[in-house]
Amino acid sequence: MDNWVIGMMLSASIFLGAVALVAFLWAIKNGQFDDQEKFLNGAKFDGVDELNDAVNQEKKREELKKNYKPE
Amino acid sequence: MSNKITCTHCHLEFHQDVMIKDGEHYFCCNGCQGVYHLLSDEGLDSFYDKLGSNTLTAPTGQYEDSSNFNSPAFYDKFVTVDEDGFSHVSLIIEGIHCSACVWLNEKALHKMDGIIEASINFTNNKAVITWADSVVKLSQIIDMIRAIGYNAFPYDASIQETHANKERKDYYLRMSVAIFATMNVMWIAVAQYAGYFTGMTQDMKTILNIAEGTLATPVLFYSGWIFFRGAYYGIKTKVINMDILVATGASLTYLYSIYITLIEDGEAYFDSVTMIITFVLVGKFLEVLSKKSAADALDLIGKNIPSEVNVVKDEKIVSCKLADVNVGDIIVISSGEKVLFDGEITTGNGTFDESSLTGESEPIYRTIGDSVVSGTLSIDADIHYKANKDFEHSTLSNLVSLLETAIIKKPKIEQMANKLSEYFSSTILALSFITFLAWYLFGNSFEVSLMVGISVIVIACPCALALATPVATLVGLSLGAKRGILFKEAAQLEIMAKVDTLVLDKTGTITVGKPEVVNETILHSFDKNILYSLVKSSNHPVARGVVEFLKLDESIDEYILDEYNQIPASGISAIYNGSKVLGGNKKLILDNGLSIDYESDNTLFYFSIDNSVVAIYELRDNIKKNAKKLVDNLSKRGVCVVILTGDNDKTAQRVAKEVGIDQFMSEQTPEDKSNYIERLHSEDKTVVMVGDGINDILALAQADIGIVMGSGSDIAVDVSDVILLDDSLTSLEDAFKISRTTFGLIKQNLGISLVYNAITIPLAMAGFIIPLVAAISMSVSSLLVVGNSMRIRYKWDKN
Repeated sequence: MDNWVIGMMLSASIFLGAVALVAFLWAIKNGQFDDQEKFLNGAKFDGVDELNDAVNQEKKREELKKNYKPE
Repeated sequence: MSNKITCTHCHLEFHQDVMIKDGEHYFCCNGCQGVYHLLSDEGLDSFYDKLGSNTLTAPTGQYEDSSNFNSPAFYDKFVTVDEDGFSHVSLIIEGIHCSACVWLNEKALHKMDGIIEASINFTNNKAVITWADSVVKLSQIIDMIRAIGYNAFPYDASIQETHANKERKDYYLRMSVAIFATMNVMWIAVAQYAGYFTGMTQDMKTILNIAEGTLATPVLFYSGWIFFRGAYYGIKTKVINMDILVATGASLTYLYSIYITLIEDGEAYFDSVTMIITFVLVGKFLEVLSKKSAADALDLIGKNIPSEVNVVKDEKIVSCKLADVNVGDIIVISSGEKVLFDGEITTGNGTFDESSLTGESEPIYRTIGDSVVSGTLSIDADIHYKANKDFEHSTLSNLVSLLETAIIKKPKIEQMANKLSEYFSSTILALSFITFLAWYLFGNSFEVSLMVGISVIVIACPCALALATPVATLVGLSLGAKRGILFKEAAQLEIMAKVDTLVLDKTGTITVGKPEVVNETILHSFDKNILYSLVKSSNHPVARGVVEFLKLDESIDEYILDEYNQIPASGISAIYNGSKVLGGNKKLILDNGLSIDYESDNTLFYFSIDNSVVAIYELRDNIKKNAKKLVDNLSKRGVCVVILTGDNDKTAQRVAKEVGIDQFMSEQTPEDKSNYIERLHSEDKTVVMVGDGINDILALAQADIGIVMGSGSDIAVDVSDVILLDDSLTSLEDAFKISRTTFGLIKQNLGISLVYNAITIPLAMAGFIIPLVAAISMSVSSLLVVGNSMRIRYKWDKN
């Protein structure tokens, strides 16, 4: 087995691991572990209504942002 | 049971007769009915499907006006505005029971115009709401939450709690990186070590080194940033701390390993870099976990003080800001309100709870001409009184400023591990430098000498030392938590083990804090249900004591009485089936023209039917179980026990004698108590103060360790360091035992790590340490420390 195979495997696996780590760090920063219950419940119960609700909320935010004029 | 029906909204069961029928639905109250209709109008009735079989608290529907939430002062304090112009507020929502409640609140708020986001944390019921203030006001948001059957009040999220959470989160992030990298470096290192013994080409070695180096870099510079920061502050304050040792050790090893990788000769030690940083970081994290997340005690007092009082001006009652009240103004207090100014009663009378000053829960009767003191609470008094001091000079403000100084004055006892690590760090750095010089002067190459010098730092690098204290204290904290003893900060375990003086408050600490019936004398037989019905609705502690005593008989039942009347400072009178019943103290009996001859040291409660006394109850504030045993045990250990009480000399003497304490001080004001503690401090004593009431807070804040009974007042709980949840003296003794065990454990752990260093450092100086030995011995020493701590825990759990 050539050295480059080892090198490639090492870099590939470390890279994959790093991707997972970055995802994990993002989740912590995003507050997804602050409230275990809610995110689990979200995964269990959220349906079309909840998604629509989230989209509407986002729209509302954009609209109000447009109307806002800093003094 | 058959005709009980569940309320459609709150799901609580009630008798059918009392329910409100509305179509096919039944409601227990108007509140529930209102919420139900609101929800179905808004299309939110799928809430009930989500609710399932959970029950709710019925909405009370009575709240103070929400418009004061819109005042600029309020916005100033609680509302923040972000760069998009949206307002944020943190609220605590009351009445959340299940995830359906969270769903309902979020949904209802999201439906309102102007609300951008409402995010409620189910675990702690805290909500963060973002809204556009130009569209909707905060009061409307609060009104909405109230309308759907919950209540919300704001809290200041900027104080320590959020800060502590942020710090914890920061550690999570750094630790995840460190642990991830260490795990990966470890398996690459296994290949390295295997190659070391079985032979491996230099090319392969370099590949592995590069991989390890890539993993070690974020660990050193991201996870290890904490140590560089600590080292910087250490150098700035001219203290050689553990952080300096870790930072120099890790970065020197890192630089050396890069050098080795580049010249493609020798052994790189990236695995040591990651291991050290990770282990010590975990140790530090454990310390952060057990740090006090104290909310601001002073803030809590402030929250309990209303910002306005009612003042009589031009024969009208107007509300007036505290600062605008002048000496001589007439202030109106109704029952249940807090007295904020010192003054003299001009009209009215009634009883006051003065426990914040004396610690005694017995209500005090005050009438025209008597003085009222700020900080006391009106129980049933509706009075007008003349302020004779302004707010700044009132007893209450005085107490707040005294508390401020007491918290500042709290002595800081240096922790053993901190002191030790300072000596340790400087010794190791010196030794490593000497080793380097010696090797170089004895004719070795610069590289070899540097390597040996670094190996001293690396091998000594205090994984075990860093873990010794945090692991031990964590064991101590969890042992305490299991027994209902909450230490707010790990360091307190060590301080408590060194205590030589224990100061106890009397009421609520040594004694139960409420009168209990100790003797019942029946003069004529009577129906006890009448007495029960008479005393049941009274809040007076003596009446409560009698109720508790009567309740021991399970067949007791309540009758309906006529003309029920509470007479301040004497008792209760009522009519039952045409006969006059009286229950109260001697004054009540004498006032009604009866005479009785009965002597006792205890509080007496007389009960009469139709002008003849039929029973007398003796009540006493009993001493808690195990009080004497606690005092005996502690005295044996050389701890001096003192009682400080606001009560009179006679009672104090009796209690002190009963539990076997020689030293006691009676009639102590809150200031006296705190002065006493200060005097003990000036005699170089380490003091534990145990108390429960507002009158103890100054002393609790000032003592080295303040211990509070879980049932104590909020402020007392806040300023204290240890909380005994079950109020028992057995827990107090356990707290002492746990702290001593933990302190012993810390000493053992530090011993283990020092012995380890005493063996390995000379070996490293002599240049005998090969990487494999270093890696193994480092892990073994850490495991020993953790294992030893687990052993103690196991031993305790078995008892």
